[in-house]
Amino acid sequence: MDLVRLAWTFLWLSFLCIGGGLGIVPEIERQAVTAHQWISSREFVDAYTIAQLTPGPNMKIAAFIGYAARGPLGALVAAVAMFVPPAILTALVSQHWGRFRGRPWALASEHTLAAIGMGLMAGGCYTLARSAIHDVRSGAIAVGAALALMTGRVPPLPVVLAAGLAGWLLG
Amino acid sequence: MTRPSLVRLTAVFAWIGLASLGGGRSAYFHDALVVRRRWLRDEEFLQDLAVSQVMPGPNFSNLAVALGHRLRGYPGGACALLALVLPGCLLFLALALFLREGLGPDATHVLYGMGAAVVVLVLVMTWRILVVGIRGRVSVILAAGTFLAVGPLRLPTYVGIAAMIVLGLWLNRPRASDALTPRESD
Repeated sequence: MDLVRLAWTFLWLSFLCIGGGLGIVPEIERQAVTAHQWISSREFVDAYTIAQLTPGPNMKIAAFIGYAARGPLGALVAAVAMFVPPAILTALVSQHWGRFRGRPWALASEHTLAAIGMGLMAGGCYTLARSAIHDVRSGAIAVGAALALMTGRVPPLPVVLAAGLAGWLLG
Repeated sequence: MTRPSLVRLTAVFAWIGLASLGGGRSAYFHDALVVRRRWLRDEEFLQDLAVSQVMPGPNFSNLAVALGHRLRGYPGGACALLALVLPGCLLFLALALFLREGLGPDATHVLYGMGAAVVVLVLVMTWRILVVGIRGRVSVILAAGTFLAVGPLRLPTYVGIAAMIVLGLWLNRPRASDALTPRESD
């Protein structure tokens, strides 16, 4: 029964998720912590921090909540519910979009959606920057990272690792 | 444009998934597939980005599916999804369960420094997409409006998107004079 509830919850959460996962984080917390008590509020915050700093989509937090609720099978069910149905929809739309493209309103929609997509990306950067850079220490690390990246000689990963070291030394 | 094999596609998408620190950001795909490997043109990427952003569901995995589908059809889309989500998911689960007692102070400081650098990285890559993606006055208005709504104004995302779709469809509405010459500038 819990598995069905997990699947259903993450299914509708995934369909609420429009224009970036950040938007539905409050709702995920409401469901997982308050409504179903799958994890504690503290666990949720820590899991989200780790989700942001490990690679891949942030919505993998679904797997963690599923694991906490029902073990490995719960993790699988929650992750599948979160990722697979929207993926099928996206593939279907991608398949048929080409055929509609030539029509005037399709072109108008595409121009509109593309521009909105740009705005959403910029907005996501803004939200991310506000939570990660908020004092002199993080500002200094950010400036250092920007200088290193702008030379174009240093690959991103060493820059991020060096920044982690800097955070530890300054901390 | 060369199109990769399914195996190569899976390997590259898995690598993008693993390299995309800071929570998946679409900019990583642009960098890897358009700028560095030239598997796709800017227009193709932007079209898939638009589709993935308005489809419900996690954006980053939707984009992977749309791009994978464009490169290798439905099998490409399926491999793209699996390659992108699975490695990061396992890594995250392992780490989250390991650190379940809560983060120690040392780990917090390291994550804090890495977080600041990741933001800069995402900014740099996003900037490159914005430069090629925003063309024409109408696009500037819509992008800026969306940014203000979901960024500084902190409106619910769906409210901002809905308002901008209405405005955008009106500003981009087909006009009789466009019938023969679609406006590429917008």
